[in-house]
Amino acid sequence: MSDALVPPGPVPLGTTAAARHWSPSRLAGGSVLGVWAVLFWWLLLTGRENFYLSTRTQWVVPVGATLLTLAALGRLLTARTTQREPVRRREAWIMGAVVAPVVLIMALPPATLGQFSAGKRSSFASSGVATSAADIASGELTLVDVAAGQTTPEGEAALAARAGETVDFVGFVTRYDDTPADELFLTRYVVTCCVADATIAQVRVVNVTPGAFEPNDWIEVTGAIYPIGREVIVNAASAVAVERPSRPYLTP
Amino acid sequence: MEQIAAPSPGRDATRRTAAEIVAALVGVAVLLQLAEPQRFAWVQTAFIIFGSLLIQALPFVLVGAFASAVIEVFVPGRVLERLADLPRPLQLPAAALAGVAMPICECGSVPVARRLAAKGLLPSAAVTFMLAAPVVNPVVIASTYVAYRGREGMWTMVGGRFLLGMIVAVVVGWTVGAVSKDGLLKPNPEDAHAHPVELGRPEPRWRRFFLHLGGDFLFMGRYLVLGATFAALVQTFLPASWISKVAGLPVISLGAMMLLAALLSLCSESDAFIAASFVQFGHAAQLAFLVFGPMVDLKLGTLYAGTFRKGFVRTVVLASFATTLVATMWLQVLSG
Repeated sequence: MSDALVPPGPVPLGTTAAARHWSPSRLAGGSVLGVWAVLFWWLLLTGRENFYLSTRTQWVVPVGATLLTLAALGRLLTARTTQREPVRRREAWIMGAVVAPVVLIMALPPATLGQFSAGKRSSFASSGVATSAADIASGELTLVDVAAGQTTPEGEAALAARAGETVDFVGFVTRYDDTPADELFLTRYVVTCCVADATIAQVRVVNVTPGAFEPNDWIEVTGAIYPIGREVIVNAASAVAVERPSRPYLTP
Repeated sequence: MEQIAAPSPGRDATRRTAAEIVAALVGVAVLLQLAEPQRFAWVQTAFIIFGSLLIQALPFVLVGAFASAVIEVFVPGRVLERLADLPRPLQLPAAALAGVAMPICECGSVPVARRLAAKGLLPSAAVTFMLAAPVVNPVVIASTYVAYRGREGMWTMVGGRFLLGMIVAVVVGWTVGAVSKDGLLKPNPEDAHAHPVELGRPEPRWRRFFLHLGGDFLFMGRYLVLGATFAALVQTFLPASWISKVAGLPVISLGAMMLLAALLSLCSESDAFIAASFVQFGHAAQLAFLVFGPMVDLKLGTLYAGTFRKGFVRTVVLASFATTLVATMWLQVLSG
């Protein structure tokens, strides 16, 4: 027995030639496109795209929202037809599965990668996105500058020349099994396109109050920086809890 | 007067199924709110990576579906059929070069290649185009340049990626050989509704355009969701450090980097930044990562499996792997 939800085949005799029906197939397809369009508009309006994409690739959100809206409207405008176009039950459930990620993304609170992934990701310190030595040598030092400065001997030298200067970094707390109680790692993910390509930028922070912060807490650390070889240490003059930034990932 | 006012069992079944699906989706939303699965770090990580892969890739799939619909509705079939009459040694490199004009990542090139083959282009040329476009297009080459800028061997990586991408795509196209489009493509259920007639005449072009657009997107979308699920799970649990252990082994390092590229399923526009971070590997191994990844990965695997017949997928995977391996081995030998 067919599992088609609407009997397939030609329109029965006696139907006028011009009779049009709502095509279940086109309506269902248009609805799926529409739901995805809603997600992209929602990402855009709420700023949630910051939790999934880098600033370099966020243009895909308005473009995706516009194209999906056009595609959905176009599909729905064609939904009245003289042909019967049944949707099989299996096909209908597959369309439901295609919509499920939208529910997942919209139902869950905004979240970022945290300590769990830090040990599994490549270190940005060995990544190819290098800030030039001249940039590192002058101006305010950022976490990206510090991490990228370790990619080349020139960058490392430029960073070493700034030893003792005061820096101000925001990141989340990472601790490993052998991290002393009065130290922590300040970590930030660097995202080039989407979170799937995240790498880590990390400094060791010393002289923090033991037990003051838990892993994944967002903190702001101010203190003197001491690049020692491939490790960068910040001697904390102050470390305070802060809200997670609206753009939690850095862009190289 | 329309004659479908009376309720029918078919329409009732449609409504019942629609209600079941909506109820299931609402149930999922409620369950997510109540169970708070994000309390578990690995679940949260998997959800974030899954969402980011989809949000980044779906617009590209849609752009590919737009291009595919334009080809179907506005490009006369005889144009592609005439191209198919050209000798294959000419067609395949030309198809690979045409990839330069398609500045999108690998997800977008699949629907375009599918439509080109369905419309009459030599299937092996369509495959060559599909494999070359995500490696040789200007956006990808520019991102490779940025990732390796200021580093030793920058031009080896940029030029090598372009040349090797072209070579591997042509060789795989050649391996696919003279397969027919029916031997290449799986039928798309959405196509069943894509050639409707209205009162004995074809539907207007704009209606057909939107039908093909939506049809291709829905067809590819399901496989993308599946592929993103696999890729997110692998990324959640796979530590980048495992691969460092084989960095010094000549041939194994090449295979390991190709395997890693396939597992990570990165977008070809960003993978150079990751490849560059594997400084313990030589240029040859990094090139293997950059050439093989945009041609074969978990996300693409599900797209291929849904689009092409089984034997074809096996051919593409093996031919891409073997060609990339041999080419990068030569590079390894030449660079010492």
